[in-house]
Amino acid sequence: MLAIKTEGLSKYFNDKKAVDDLNLEVPEGVIFGYLGPNGAGKTTTIRLLLSLAKATKGNAYILGENIRETRSYLSKIGFLPEVPGFYNFFNAREFLHFIADISGMTKPSQKIEEVLETVGLQKERKRIGTYSRGMKQRLGIAQAILSDPPLLILDEPTSALDPEGRKETLDLIASFKGRKTVFFSTHILGDVERICDMVGIIKEGRLMLSDSIENIKKGHSKRTLLIEVDKPKKLMEILQYLSWVESVSILNNNGIMLEVKDLPTAQKELPQIMTKEKILLNKWELMEPTLEDIFLEVVHNDN
Amino acid sequence: MIIKLIKKELNEYLKTGKFYILLFVFVFFAILSPVTAKFMPEIIKSMSQGISITMPPSTWRDSFVQFSKNLNQIVFIVIVLVFIGSIAEEKNHGTASLVAVKGVDRRKWVVSKFLFQLLFSLVILTIAFFLCFYYAKLLFPDTQFYPAISSTLLFVVYLFFVLSLTIFSSSIGKNLPQSAGIFFAIFIVINILNMLPKVNPYNPMTLSTIESQWIASKVAWGDTIKPIISTLLFSAILIFSGAIYFHKQEL
Repeated sequence: MLAIKTEGLSKYFNDKKAVDDLNLEVPEGVIFGYLGPNGAGKTTTIRLLLSLAKATKGNAYILGENIRETRSYLSKIGFLPEVPGFYNFFNAREFLHFIADISGMTKPSQKIEEVLETVGLQKERKRIGTYSRGMKQRLGIAQAILSDPPLLILDEPTSALDPEGRKETLDLIASFKGRKTVFFSTHILGDVERICDMVGIIKEGRLMLSDSIENIKKGHSKRTLLIEVDKPKKLMEILQYLSWVESVSILNNNGIMLEVKDLPTAQKELPQIMTKEKILLNKWELMEPTLEDIFLEVVHNDN
Repeated sequence: MIIKLIKKELNEYLKTGKFYILLFVFVFFAILSPVTAKFMPEIIKSMSQGISITMPPSTWRDSFVQFSKNLNQIVFIVIVLVFIGSIAEEKNHGTASLVAVKGVDRRKWVVSKFLFQLLFSLVILTIAFFLCFYYAKLLFPDTQFYPAISSTLLFVVYLFFVLSLTIFSSSIGKNLPQSAGIFFAIFIVINILNMLPKVNPYNPMTLSTIESQWIASKVAWGDTIKPIISTLLFSAILIFSGAIYFHKQEL
């Protein structure tokens, strides 16, 4: 079953297409990273999914419920806004009691203590108004996970956190893998690469890419090989005339950077050539593109 | 759900001090009104500096006329200032969206705000009325309860209208200044409409005039039915419209 499914979901502001014909599928139990440059439509997508904004056209289904027909699905979502707004006159505990109250939780005290400990705010007695941005972000995460919802929608969850807080938050999100669906927007690619199962890249309101990180990397492989051999010059002389070779260059005394047109052929023929020519192989590495490479390629590619 | 939301409102008003501001204003004018009525002739005489001024002796009615005027002017302004941002500020600070995404019915949220403001104001008004009555009785032993309470009950109906208008304005406005602008624009239009004789009997503004007349025992309940019913109807429309608008609004 899909946790989130959108069909041609669009949001227009006069001439500006904030979200345009979005067809997104997020399976249950995955951690989905929603990437895009600033102003790409990430937050608008989240606002549409949460019924905080009205879609111009299209449909969306959250945990099987059509969001244009009902808002009851909201009780199954934990949401962390990019800049969380709080009742500053409460302290963290009082605020979470209020959230538990309106979420319909019964006897929430123990759960509140657990959640406060998880986000490191169990000793805080001050009013929320005195909190730093990082503390507010952590309280935002606490309120999102308090009622143990099956779906978490997090808008830039690590943006205001220091490195330690970021690591803890990412570890916490990673711990939900398989148990909850997490849909989170970010532009910190390292975070996505570290914990996400799936990635969607949005640009100017349009979804450019959506797949598992593994498949995306396969699809965007540069087909570049780094080879270290004992006779690099000899190998280079042989390789440069082969039809499946795009380019070949010597990196240092023993290294060769080889770009190929057809990777399976290269993987099959290279060992045969080296055996035949009695070239000793020291190192063989298929250069994988990083998520950053893919992101930049998708975002900067006009087609 | 409404009770839970009202509980949060009460917490907010106690913790932010808004409760004490309103309580102070109501109590202050409740005590000040009979005292001013009693001593105003002497104050004016002492300020006349040789000019001979003849003033009729003040009565208990002056206490409640003064109380009614204060409620309709200064207390009215304070009520509007305290309550006008109740929804708009939550939209502005992002707390409205935080509550909305918890699955809280937005219409119930609006109604809970109105109910809290009404109940809260009624409690404080009751305290203020009995304080005013106590001091009036102390200073004017012939103070009558029935005309005094009748006049204050009319203010309750008027308060119902004022609060529904603040809720409506706050639901529509994106922030506090915009909501205040909407409130005062509608309020001015209603005041202008009060000049039309055909509209006058149905206009909520009529109630504030009747309040003073009642103290002078010139009004019968029958004369108040039209403005009371139209005010309550108008208020209900305002709350209903505000709730529906907020339900569909983008946050």
